[in-house]
Amino acid sequence: MSVNLGFAQASNDFLIAALLIYSVAVLAFAGDYAFGRPRRAAAKAAAPAAAPAVAELATVGAGAPAVSSVAEPATAGPDPDDTAGPASGGPWEVGRQGPVPERRAGAFRSIWAAGPWVRAAVGLSALGMLAHLVAVVTRGLAVHRAPWGNMYEFITALTCVAAIFFGYIVVRHRAWTLGVFVMGAVVLALGLAETIIYTPAGPLVPALQSYWLSIHVTAMTLATGIFFVAAVLGILYLVAERYRARIAAGKAQPGNGLLERIPSAAQLDKLTYRTAVFGFPVWTFGVIAGAIWADQAWGRYWGWDPVETWAFITWVIYAAYLHARATAGWRGARAHYIQLLGFASLITNMLVVQVFITGMHSYAGVH
Amino acid sequence: MTDVQTPQPQQEAVNGGAGEAAGGGAAEPPAASPGWPRWVWRQLTSMRTALILLFLLAVCSIPGSVLPQQGSDPAAVQQYFGSHPGLAPWLNHLGLFNVFAAPWFAAVYLLLFASLVGCVVPRTFRLVGSARTPPPRAPRNLDRLPHSSSYRSALPPAAAVDGAAAVLAGQRFRLRRPGQRGSDQQDRGHWVSAEKGYLREVGNLLFHLSLLGVLLSIAAGGLFGYKADKLLVEGQSFADTTSALDEFHPGRLVSGSDLAPFSMTLNKFTAGYVTSGESRGQPSDFDADVSYAASPGAAARSYHIRINDPLSVDSVKVYLIGHGYAPEFKVTGPNGSVAYQAATPFIPANTGTLLSDGVVKAPDASLGFEGVFVPTGISVDGTLQSIFPAADNPAVSLIGYSGNLGMDSGQSQSVYQLDTTAMSKVSGSPHLLLPGQTWTLPGGKGSITFVGVKQWVSLAVTYDPGQLPALVCGILALAGLLLSFFVRRRRVFVRAVPAVSGTGSLVTVGGLTRSDASGGFEEEFAELAAEIAAAEPGSGPGTPGQAGQAGQPEPGGSPPPGSRTEPGA
Amino acid sequence: MLRARRRTVVTVTAVVAVLLGGALAATLLTEGGGTAGGGTATSGNAVTYQAGHRPLAPEFTATSLTGTTIKLSSYRGKTVVLNFWGSWCPPCRDEAPTLGVLAQQYGSQGVAFLGDDVGDTAANALAFTRSVHVSYPSINDPGYAVVQTFSQVAPVSDTPTTVVIDKTGHVAGMVLGAVSYGEMTTLLHQAAVTS
Repeated sequence: MSVNLGFAQASNDFLIAALLIYSVAVLAFAGDYAFGRPRRAAAKAAAPAAAPAVAELATVGAGAPAVSSVAEPATAGPDPDDTAGPASGGPWEVGRQGPVPERRAGAFRSIWAAGPWVRAAVGLSALGMLAHLVAVVTRGLAVHRAPWGNMYEFITALTCVAAIFFGYIVVRHRAWTLGVFVMGAVVLALGLAETIIYTPAGPLVPALQSYWLSIHVTAMTLATGIFFVAAVLGILYLVAERYRARIAAGKAQPGNGLLERIPSAAQLDKLTYRTAVFGFPVWTFGVIAGAIWADQAWGRYWGWDPVETWAFITWVIYAAYLHARATAGWRGARAHYIQLLGFASLITNMLVVQVFITGMHSYAGVH
Repeated sequence: MTDVQTPQPQQEAVNGGAGEAAGGGAAEPPAASPGWPRWVWRQLTSMRTALILLFLLAVCSIPGSVLPQQGSDPAAVQQYFGSHPGLAPWLNHLGLFNVFAAPWFAAVYLLLFASLVGCVVPRTFRLVGSARTPPPRAPRNLDRLPHSSSYRSALPPAAAVDGAAAVLAGQRFRLRRPGQRGSDQQDRGHWVSAEKGYLREVGNLLFHLSLLGVLLSIAAGGLFGYKADKLLVEGQSFADTTSALDEFHPGRLVSGSDLAPFSMTLNKFTAGYVTSGESRGQPSDFDADVSYAASPGAAARSYHIRINDPLSVDSVKVYLIGHGYAPEFKVTGPNGSVAYQAATPFIPANTGTLLSDGVVKAPDASLGFEGVFVPTGISVDGTLQSIFPAADNPAVSLIGYSGNLGMDSGQSQSVYQLDTTAMSKVSGSPHLLLPGQTWTLPGGKGSITFVGVKQWVSLAVTYDPGQLPALVCGILALAGLLLSFFVRRRRVFVRAVPAVSGTGSLVTVGGLTRSDASGGFEEEFAELAAEIAAAEPGSGPGTPGQAGQAGQPEPGGSPPPGSRTEPGA
Repeated sequence: MLRARRRTVVTVTAVVAVLLGGALAATLLTEGGGTAGGGTATSGNAVTYQAGHRPLAPEFTATSLTGTTIKLSSYRGKTVVLNFWGSWCPPCRDEAPTLGVLAQQYGSQGVAFLGDDVGDTAANALAFTRSVHVSYPSINDPGYAVVQTFSQVAPVSDTPTTVVIDKTGHVAGMVLGAVSYGEMTTLLHQAAVTS
């Protein structure tokens, strides 16, 4: 079947539109930092609606003084040694004490209440996500197959996943203050795809003509998109943690600046962990699906092909991150370095190994 | 990981869940005399060791992806030796050209699995133990728990607790009521303890054990399985025997008579290419039309082997790996008799245009030829080039040699290389032939005719008995992973005391969970508490100020954020 | 405490099993056993079967290079030397003169020589037999079908391989790789011992 040029052109147009809309959204997120309502005022306005039992990331600043920093470390991660009961003072998670929580306020009401900049930013992001999704779908319609058959398509799809996943986090955890960073990273990745890595729509080489493309590469796309978000959050954690440590050491004053706007280190830590935990099984499934497909196509399910090896390395590093979070002395910043190392390994696999190291996986289509 | 041997009655030494465990057990050796075995044991099974070994595994895999590996590309390894004559032997000594079979790599993953087993087996015992012990008694002061709420009930305490127990039982919690154990004698109160979520640890253990299963399956496949290659020209057939196969890599416990007794003929190979547009020349389809018989004398069946579509015969799989061209030549000797007639496989030098190299050996006429074949040929500055991979305009350019090919001395030779040390060229420049043309060699040495073009395919024949077990273990590992991430181990306690005034009681519900990867225990607890409260008539929220307990609900408002740790609000 | 002790024993055993078993499997798996199967074995490697323990050679019917039909059963009552060869195979070309001498010497003593030409076209095989003056017929077996049939009984794993079948149709011995005169005469004498 030949390429449907109409859809191919539409895909390109919608992607450029998405890129532009995202860029403006990032500006709006930044505008919220510069000109938006201070966090506490927003919190008071939202207080009747938001029960404290819900993780309100937007309401607690990174450098919030003693109150939250006392409570935070206890929630910072899994606690050692399960005991039979709380007699020893709650080694199980110290969550939130409180009443039976009342019904949560709608996410959209909170967003609306957070001010015009946030409204604009979130609205534009949603519009951009829609355009992005249309771009991905029309690319698929143009080439009559799942639209992740080469590097360009893969990056467009995974950034779409990352953007949608971030949308989910915004709604569930009220995390719009992270918008600048996550959507900014999406804009950068898309820009890279459009300029350097662009491949015109075309048919797949026979080795990729299999329904396993839909399964294996879809899983890898999803997992990469999720790990992308986790990496951005991890970087933010490191920044927030350093800021918190400096305040605790008295070297900095908590103000109302940029770092006050993003969630606290502990909340970022938890959010990053949950995101990574979401991505890890998807990556595992993707590796298994890849092995099944490799057996169909190449006669063996694992041959230590460079891309296979680096997918394995990535998996091992993320497994190390999960173990680190449970090891004394390795929680906190160290664990996040491991997680970022895992993402670096993923990016190396995608951009370096697939392109420059010849193996059976060289389908990037990048010339 | 703490000591395996003596778990204290109240302590479960290790949390469940893939995301958590006890802190790294870097304990000093105990003062008692056989200190070092226990210290080694603790080190081996500690989380920190697991972490280090995981890093090592990742780092050790890197050279296996950067350097050419003997197992997958021996030609590239030879090339590396050629281009790095000083460095390559050292790398070879370290085993870096066969990383994944190297003993030090095996040491890393074996230690990792030993550490894994040393962790998992005690935990399995502990899980079985904790599944048998009932949940702990409800603490006296439920308000100190991370999640708690209270309400007034119109029922007396015993009935209220019974109602709560019914709700919890309906949610499949394991219950414990007072009086079930002797130690409850002193506690006259009315309470129920409930616990749920053992599947989390089950999932965790399942995941880790399945990884071990994958390793065992890979080993079984390596020992009992085999891999083989065969290059087959259109019209040729072969039987699955070791002498017919070009390459045969058996596992250690495999012998030649274990091969499945099938035979196969390649009837026709068709390759389709994109003929226009930006992807012109890119292959679009490969189809090998084969007939096969599962055993000698069995009925012949046909199949189309494609790239993602192997043939399964008898639990052996035959895959289409590569393809190329085999131009057919006829060579006659000086006396005119036919010394050679066969389709000769040529090896592609350029995978895009399929320009290919090959040799023709006719030892019985003392002639040999080196050739370059182009499927769609044009002449550029006198050299032959190919511009398209389909055989639209085939041509071959030959250099002829005459003399002793060295095949009678018994030394093995590559069929794709001509040993010209005892031969001399028959003419100075290469001779171009189109299909049907004959080149009569000078000096009456004979002639060579380019008869026509056939294609060849390379097939991989593999048998791996560990494949299905590995897949099953992989899926089980994934299932275990999901369970361990998304199931929470949680405990809920309900206590009822008679109300200060009136006939009802004040019921307090408390809950706690281990760290909660996916979040959501707060909502679950809230729903549970609401359901317990709603399950009986005449209940309502407790009034503030009652016994000064923190966390009482305030009708119509909630404490401002950030004040979680302050009592009373 | 006894229960805890039993648990320790189980755990330690499991760990040691993993370590030792893994080391064993790892050494077994790094094969020295991978061979180029279709390659050629240059030096001989003789195998003999004692009388009374000889496997029965499988019956086959095949076509010769010149088109005539050959049945193994028709050779019953004679000792048969069955030589698997190919014109592309240097050790096969190397041993051909030896086989020619043996054929001349033993042909009159009730030993029949038969070739099985594998992986070849008829034209190439006939070119070789003509140039080396092979006097005995050869089966045209480009697809290794006879080899496969034979491999059920005795492993014909290389080219060349020479099999000696005694008068009762049982395999008395074989040589993997190019034959030497001495090996063959020994095999032929042993094949004659049938009790």
